[in-house]
Amino acid sequence: MTAQVGSKSCVTMALVSADTKISELLTELHQLIKQTQEERSRSEHNLLNIQKTHERMQTENKTSPYYRTKLRGLYTTAKADAEAECSILRHALDKIAEIKSLLEERRIAAKMAGVYSDSDPPRKTMRRGVLMTLLQQSAMTLPLWIGKPGDSPPPLCGAMPASSDYVAKPGDKVAARVKAVDGDEQWILAEVVSYSHSTNKYEVDDIDEEGKERHTLSRRRIIPLPQWKANPETDPEALFSKDQLVLALYPQTTCFYRALIHTPPHRPQDDYSVLFEDTSYADGYSPPLNVAQRYVVACKENKKK
Amino acid sequence: MADPSAQASLQPRPQQTQPSGTAGSSAMPGSANCDPARPGLSQQQRASQKKAQVRAFPRAKKLEKLGVFSACKANDSCKCNGWKNPHPPTATRMDLQQQAASLSEPCRSCGHALADHVSHLENVSEEEINRLLGMVVDVENLFMSVHKEEDTDTKQVYFYLFKLLRKCILQMSQPIVEGSLGSPPFEKPNIEQGVLNFVQYKFSHLAPKERQTMFELSKMFLLCLNYWKLETPTQFRQRSQKDDGTAYKVDYTRWLCYCHVPQSNDSLPRYETTQVFGRSLLKSIFTVTRRQLLEKFRVEKDKLLPEKRTLILTHFPKFLSMLEEEIYGENSPIWEADFTMPASEGAQLGHPTVISPAAVSSTPSFNKSISCSSSLGAMSLDTAASEPKTGEKRKLPEALTLEDAKRIRVMGDIPMELVNEVMMTITDPAAMLGPETSLLSANAARDETARLEERRGIIEFHVIGNSLSQKSNKKILMWLVGLQNVFSHQLPRMPKEYITRLVFDPKHKTLALIKDGRVIGGICFRMFPTQGFTEIVFCAVTSNEQVKGYGTHLMNHLKEYHIKHSILYFLTYADEYAIGYFKKQGFSKDIKVPKSRYLGYIKDYEGATLMECELNPRIPYTELSHIIKRQKEIIKKLIERKQSQIRKVYPGLTCFKEGVRQIPVESIPGIRETGWKPSGKEKCKELKDPDLLYNMLKNLLAQIKTHPDAWPFMEPVKKAEAPDYYEIIRFPIDLKTMTERLKNRYYVTKKLFIADLQRIITNCREYNPPDSEYCKCANTLEKFFYFKLKESGLIDK
Repeated sequence: MTAQVGSKSCVTMALVSADTKISELLTELHQLIKQTQEERSRSEHNLLNIQKTHERMQTENKTSPYYRTKLRGLYTTAKADAEAECSILRHALDKIAEIKSLLEERRIAAKMAGVYSDSDPPRKTMRRGVLMTLLQQSAMTLPLWIGKPGDSPPPLCGAMPASSDYVAKPGDKVAARVKAVDGDEQWILAEVVSYSHSTNKYEVDDIDEEGKERHTLSRRRIIPLPQWKANPETDPEALFSKDQLVLALYPQTTCFYRALIHTPPHRPQDDYSVLFEDTSYADGYSPPLNVAQRYVVACKENKKK
Repeated sequence: MADPSAQASLQPRPQQTQPSGTAGSSAMPGSANCDPARPGLSQQQRASQKKAQVRAFPRAKKLEKLGVFSACKANDSCKCNGWKNPHPPTATRMDLQQQAASLSEPCRSCGHALADHVSHLENVSEEEINRLLGMVVDVENLFMSVHKEEDTDTKQVYFYLFKLLRKCILQMSQPIVEGSLGSPPFEKPNIEQGVLNFVQYKFSHLAPKERQTMFELSKMFLLCLNYWKLETPTQFRQRSQKDDGTAYKVDYTRWLCYCHVPQSNDSLPRYETTQVFGRSLLKSIFTVTRRQLLEKFRVEKDKLLPEKRTLILTHFPKFLSMLEEEIYGENSPIWEADFTMPASEGAQLGHPTVISPAAVSSTPSFNKSISCSSSLGAMSLDTAASEPKTGEKRKLPEALTLEDAKRIRVMGDIPMELVNEVMMTITDPAAMLGPETSLLSANAARDETARLEERRGIIEFHVIGNSLSQKSNKKILMWLVGLQNVFSHQLPRMPKEYITRLVFDPKHKTLALIKDGRVIGGICFRMFPTQGFTEIVFCAVTSNEQVKGYGTHLMNHLKEYHIKHSILYFLTYADEYAIGYFKKQGFSKDIKVPKSRYLGYIKDYEGATLMECELNPRIPYTELSHIIKRQKEIIKKLIERKQSQIRKVYPGLTCFKEGVRQIPVESIPGIRETGWKPSGKEKCKELKDPDLLYNMLKNLLAQIKTHPDAWPFMEPVKKAEAPDYYEIIRFPIDLKTMTERLKNRYYVTKKLFIADLQRIITNCREYNPPDSEYCKCANTLEKFFYFKLKESGLIDK
C-alpha cells in the first residue's frame, strides 16, 4: 500500500516516520504490559498476607491492637500497589490511544495523497463486505471510558452529547444529514474532511464512496459519533434508556434510521438492541436488531416526518 | 448509499400469476444430457414448440382450430364431425399468421356456421382449451406418423392412437388406451429394480469408487433403454426364428402406446420403459439392443465427454456381459421380488450422506430426508429413479478428480515436488509472517466470511420443501414460513400470496440459510429435470444480514446441489436490482438453453431480464474462491523462486499506459529466458511468415471498411454521443483503432485480429437494442467478415 501511494516523496517520508513511531510505541506498550504483570505478582504476596491475617483473627476471635496496626499497614501497601498498577494500565491505554491516532493520521495522509495525486489511476473502491467488517471492527475497538472515582462521563462518551461549541476533527466519523439524489433527506455515516470557522460549515465524505461524494453541510446537520463507550456497570447514566428515540446505523448499511431503544447494553462489550421504524412490519417497527454503541446517537427532531 | 429497502429486492414482479396451463401439466420428455442414445428429441421439441405457438393464439383462432375436430351441433340430424374451412389455405401447411375465421363462416361439408361446431366450448376454461389444443397438435402429428410409417404393426397402433385422441377431443375426455393390453406396470419387478439389484448383487463388495462407476453405468444403461427404439415385431420374427413373436408383439404395442409415442405426444400418459416392463421384455430385446448400443457408442465416441468415454469404452461392454448372464441365467436372484442384500453392504448405496464435498464433519448440512421427499415423484421418472440414490451421486466429483489426477501432465509443467514444497511453505504458520488479514484486505473473496461461518457452525444451509403426500416435520414448516417472511419483506413488489403459493408448492424447493435456528435468507427454485434446467424463483437475504457474502455462498451451494442432481443450467428472470447480483454469480444474458426447452415452463415476468448460468460439474463452487486464492499464492511463490534464479531485471512494460490493450506474450522482454515457449503448431506456422499474415489482414480490413454497413464502426464511439458508453463497454474497439494496431504490427496472430473484429460486433450488441439500426449493421457486417475470413482461408469452412 505504502509503495503505491509513494509517488510523492514527502508523503512517503511521513509514512515511514509514522511507522517507526508506531513500532516504538508498540515496544513501549509491550514493556508496560510486562510491568503490569510484575506489579500484579508483587502485590499478590501482600494480598495473601491480608487474607491470612483475617483468617488468624477469625480463629483467635478477637481484634487485638497488634492486628489492627498490622492490617492498616497491609491495606495501605495494597492500596499503593493497586494505584501503581492502575497508573501503569492507564499509561498503557494512553499508548494505545496514541497508536490509534497515529494510524488514523497515517490513514488520512494516505487518503489525501490518494485523492490528490492524479498520475495514479483512481483507486478501486473497497468491496462493501470489507467496508462493513471495518465498520464493525471500529465499533468493537472504540475505547471504553474509564474515569477516576467521582469523575462523570465526558461529552461524547456513550449517549453524552458533545458540547454546543464542539467542532469535530478531520477524520472523525459523524452522522450527516444529506439530500439524496431523489430529494429525500437521509442520515448517512460520513467522515469529516474539514470545518470552516468563517462559514460554520463542515465538509464531509460519504463513508461509502470514499472521496467520491463530498458534502458541505451546516453544523446542525452533523452529529458527532461517540468517542468512548460508556460502561453500563459504572456509568449507566451515559447510556440511552429503554424506549428512547435514537438514530441508529441499520446493520450492514451506512445509513442511520430512527429507532427505539429496546434494551441498553448490560456489559461494556454489549450492543444496544433497537427497534427500527419500519412501515413494512405490522406494528411499524422491525424486530430487535443489535447496534453497537458507536453507531447510536440522539435523535434531534422528535416530530415525525 | 445503502438503503436496506432499495437493495432488498432481488426478483421482479410477476406479470401474471402463472402462465396458462402449459407449465406443469405436461411431463415433457427430453433432458439436458446430450446422450447419443436419445433419438426423437427434436421431434419432442417440435411438438412442444408447436403447442406453445398454438396456445399463444388469440381465442378466435383457437376456436377455429378446435372446430375442425368438433361435431356440428346445429341440429340432431347433422352428422358432420368437424368444421371444414370453406377457404382452405393455399399453402399445404396451415399458415400460422392467417386471420382467424369468423364464427359465422359456414362449414364446407355441412353448411352450418363455425359457431355451431364450437358452441360447447363457450364456457370452457382457457386451461381446458389449451389441453384440447395440445391434443389437436398431437393428433396432427400422429396423422403424419400414420402416413410416414411403413411397418404395418406400428402403423396400426399409430392409427388406433390417432382415432383415440380424436374421440377425446370430440368428447373432451382424457385419453385412455383400452383393449387387451392391460395397464402398466406389466411385470414386477421392473427392469430398473432388476438392474439396480444386479449392481448390488455383483458389485457391492467393491471399493466405493468402483461401485460408483458401476452404478453410473447401470443408470446410463437404464436411461438408454428408456429412449431406445425397439425393433418391430416383423424384425423380431426374422431375427429369432424359434420364437413366433406373439408375446413380443403385445409388449411392442404396449411400449408404443405407453412409452414411445407419449415421449413426443404429451396428451397420452407416459411411462418409462424400465419402470413398467420386466425381465421378459429385456430377454426379448437385450441381445440386439446391446449390440446396437455398443455400436452407437463406438461410432459416437468422439462426441462423448472425455470422462465418460473411458467409462463407456472400458467398463460398459463387461458390465453388459455380466448383466446378460443374469438376464438369461436360470436362477438369477436379481429378479426375485424380495431381493435384498445384507444391510451392511447394501446400505451404502442408498444411504443419504452430507451434501458438502468439503465434508467438514462439524458442518451441519442439507437435510436429505427432506430434499429427496416425494415432491419429486411427480417429475420425470429418470429422476425419480435416481433420487433415492443421491448418496451415491454425491461422490461424483470425487470420481472426476480421480480422472483428473490421471491426466497426462503438460510438458514443461512444474514438478509436483516443487508444488508440494511450496504448499508446505504457505500452509506452515511458522514460515509465514504477518497478521492474518485475508478477511480485511480489499481483495478478500466475497464468500470468505460466509464459508468460515459455515465451517464454525454459525450458519447452516438446507434444501427444504413442502410435501403433500407425507407429513412434513414441524421444523421444516417453520422454516418455510420463515422463508416466506424473508421473501415477502425483501421483495416488496411481489404479492405475498404469490410468494406463499410458490414457497409451499411441493414442486418448488428452497435452499434455506439458517442462523441461530432462524431463516435469514434463501433461494427458492424449481427443477425441471426433463428440460435440463432449474428456474431460480426467489432469492433474498434479510436486510440486516446483507453484504456478508451469504448470497454468494447460497448460490454456490445451490450450484453444487444441482451438479449432484445432474442439472447444469439455471434460468431466472432478474429485475433491475437483481441483475448485478446474478452477474456476480456467473449468470449472463446470453441464453444457451434452446427456447423450446424453457418456454411454457419458466414463469415469465414483464420488464425482467432472462439470465442463465451454466454450471461446470468439475468445479467445487463453495470452495472455488478459496482454491483460486491458494493457486495465486502458489504462483506467487513460484515466481519468487524463479526470480531469485534469474537475476536480470527488465524495466516494466509501458505500452499499456500508452493505450495498448493487449500484447502478444512472446513480445514481453525476457519472457523466453524464463523458459516460456509459444504453444500450438498454428502459431509457429504463422510466425514463420508474419508479412504474409500482415498483407492478408490489411487486405481484409480494407474490404471490411468499404462495406456499406461498416459506417457505425469506423471510429471510436464519442463520449458526447453516448455518455455512458464507456461505463458499459469495457473493451471498446473500432475499425480505425484496428487499422492502427495492424500498422503497429499488433496482430501477430490471426486470433488477435478475429477477436477484435468479433468484439466490435459483441460490443454493438451489448450496448444497442437488438432491433436497432446499429445491430442490423453489425449482423450484416458479421456475416460479411466471416464469409471473407473463410474465403481467405483464415478460418475453417
